[in-house]
Amino acid sequence: MDTFALLLMGFSNALTLQNLLMALIGSILGTLVGVLPGIGPTAGLAILLPVTTLLDPIPAIVMLAAVYYGAMYGGSTTSILMNIPGEIASIVTTIDGYQMAKQGRAGPALAISAISSFVAGTLGLVGLCLFAPILSEMALKLGPPERFGIMVLAFSMVISMSGKSILKGLVSAAIGMAIVLVGIDPYLGLGRFTYGTITLVGGFDFIAIIMGLFAMTEVFRSIGAQVSAIYDAPLRSLMIKWRELKQCITCMLRASVVGFFLGCLPGCGPGVVSFISYDFEKRISKNRGNFGNGAIEGVCAPEGANNATTAGGFVPLLTLGIPPSTSLAVLLGGLMIYGLQPGPLLFEKQPVFVWTIIASMYIGNVILLILNLPLVGMWARLVKVPYHIIAPLILLFCFIGTYSVRNSLFDVGTCLAFGFIGLVMSKLEIPFIPLSLAIILSPMLEEVLRQTISMGGGSIGVLLERPVALALIGAGFLAVGLTLYLRLRWARAEELFGLEQAE
Amino acid sequence: MKKKKLVLSRSSFNERRNAMKSRVILGIVLICFVCVFVSGLAGAQQKGYPNKPIDLVVPYNPGGGTDVTARILSMYLSKTWRVAVNVVNKPGGRGIPGCYAAISAKPDGYTMLCEGHATSSIMDAFSAEKLPFDWRKRTWICRQTVDVVFYLTRPDSPFTSLKGMEKYIKENPKELRWGESGIGLASGAQFFYETKIPLDMVKHVTFTGGAMTTASLAGSHIDFAAQQLSEIKGFVDAKKVRALAVIWPERVPQLPQVPTVVEEGFPTIDAKGWHGISGPPGLPKEIVDKWVVTLREAAESEMFKKYADAVYKVIAFLGPKEFREYVDAEHKKYLELAKMLKIKK
Repeated sequence: MDTFALLLMGFSNALTLQNLLMALIGSILGTLVGVLPGIGPTAGLAILLPVTTLLDPIPAIVMLAAVYYGAMYGGSTTSILMNIPGEIASIVTTIDGYQMAKQGRAGPALAISAISSFVAGTLGLVGLCLFAPILSEMALKLGPPERFGIMVLAFSMVISMSGKSILKGLVSAAIGMAIVLVGIDPYLGLGRFTYGTITLVGGFDFIAIIMGLFAMTEVFRSIGAQVSAIYDAPLRSLMIKWRELKQCITCMLRASVVGFFLGCLPGCGPGVVSFISYDFEKRISKNRGNFGNGAIEGVCAPEGANNATTAGGFVPLLTLGIPPSTSLAVLLGGLMIYGLQPGPLLFEKQPVFVWTIIASMYIGNVILLILNLPLVGMWARLVKVPYHIIAPLILLFCFIGTYSVRNSLFDVGTCLAFGFIGLVMSKLEIPFIPLSLAIILSPMLEEVLRQTISMGGGSIGVLLERPVALALIGAGFLAVGLTLYLRLRWARAEELFGLEQAE
Repeated sequence: MKKKKLVLSRSSFNERRNAMKSRVILGIVLICFVCVFVSGLAGAQQKGYPNKPIDLVVPYNPGGGTDVTARILSMYLSKTWRVAVNVVNKPGGRGIPGCYAAISAKPDGYTMLCEGHATSSIMDAFSAEKLPFDWRKRTWICRQTVDVVFYLTRPDSPFTSLKGMEKYIKENPKELRWGESGIGLASGAQFFYETKIPLDMVKHVTFTGGAMTTASLAGSHIDFAAQQLSEIKGFVDAKKVRALAVIWPERVPQLPQVPTVVEEGFPTIDAKGWHGISGPPGLPKEIVDKWVVTLREAAESEMFKKYADAVYKVIAFLGPKEFREYVDAEHKKYLELAKMLKIKK
């Protein structure tokens, strides 16, 4: 098959000794950068881009791709070990991952994260090879009304991820939307809640809020509870058991599919997709009762999905020149400096370039798996470090990471403030996830809603002419309805039989 | 009752050994991180300006037009001045906080702004509220690159020329969907200004990025847009988007088949994206001169031209005085457009 021959050519370019060395260095640097919270693939690529200009085009591309992948792999490490989501894509991993760490199962969590990332990433790349041109055609057909439908569907997750009380989940989401409102109107430059200060014109930074809410709150809570270490007893398992791995196989496959296809849609970055994959897995899995308490599928699904999304994200990136996330935008800039001309004809006009990149991503995946699995043991031991040593370090990493995003001390202050806000919220049992979802989705929701209404000349009626959009909105309502119905059923069963509610 | 004695049993030995291992590993990890951070603090040892790393502030996210320009500039400057010129991203708030941060820094030449239409003329003209600072108060150094803007329509559009589009709008009021982002707003608005078509005859859709605007055009979700060369070249070549005209005095070599606005009967339309360098007000003359001289050389150099071509920018150097005049003229014109767009009263 033609694609296969091209792929082999790509491999022959990428597998030279020099390129393999570049891939290795890139992977290591990328992982290091990814582990540092706040410094995600974006900053990592931005920092290393000038270095790569010293190289020839092909080794440079290989290295850039490896850095990007490495950063995606590294991001989950701090999420699992210390409840520090290094970037938006790692938030969901904290839910079950950190619980697993607290149960002494940090090793299996890290291991499944690496393995799932590898499997889903590789499958995603296969999808990229086979389906890129067709998918990019389909992606073009999705305009603002359809993207609005996707947002409605995504928002429906607020209900299903609310935990015990849907009302509190809605409150959490409302707080999130209110926070995101602060800033400046992207259309007319009108300030919103800026109170005349320039700092508030920039609004609050996502990463600062999320690190404050997850990492800082956890540190404060642990200090309050006087824990001696994140996990105190002897570490039982540093590596994943075969049984657990087999349990996760179907999960990994599902995550690959969900991640890859959603990743092709411009605007659906790894963050949103990891939520969707987690939610989907929770609904389908037999083990759903355990989600939130250290279910291994709860780590496997989002980690796999966010790597598959990376591969899916290359579809609009290469064929349309639309980077679906900031980090890919930097990658695109770097690739363009080397002569890449993204566009619908890219695969035809520059096959050497494209297939070498794809081949080097496969290689990057393999290298990262080989690098990360042995390191799992090392990382896992960090949970045993006495808390009075590791807590200040967590705070330090949070501050550095938060500052690095916008080079702004205001963000560091935001992070600290949200640490305290998170403490209050956890006392009131208001869940964090709906807030995070609202923060991620609201700006996009506003944008596409506004565009849809403008397209309709001021009326939302344009939706009636777009069946795909209507189907997506319908699916969103269906999802909400299903969740509510199931909860009502459980509540009645609980009433009738006095059963424990399996959450 | 168990007596507490010094426990030297196997399991506690393992415990302490494991705890020790954890600390050793933590120590190694920390040393690695410290090395990474310290390496970033390395400074140069030469005398005179510049003798330490320079921050080039970009008030937007990495990967966008301003960021890419800043990066190619920083690559050239780092090589020429043998000092690290770091691109520092301060995104958010339509560029206002980042721009302000750069121009209110110390005027010592070590914090500079990668300037553009969006942080100067457009920032003030297209803002419904008064800006929280005086946008004119900065040291204007030079303009370096320009982005050529094209008028575009979707591939299955019922018209194939600008005059055709004018006719279409007049015959089918409130049908045309005009999508814009960034410089596309000012560029597209000029068409309506010249043809005196009232804006309520079209549907105005705002996007937050040029790539999305172009993709929406290709997917036939909008009918008319004005975008930069870098954003559309692939699409035009693949015939996914139809270029109606180029806003440039003559035809552009990358897309020679596209007629100019002059040829299409609109010689007064003039809009382009551009980038350059500015600094805090009160920058010493020697520092300004050094930047001007180096950037003027860059504009002539092969290396910089190669970078600029790769990212579809046209080199268009303007020294300080001409730059200042250019921005003022552009701002005046955009104020007119802002009134028409009902952004300003």
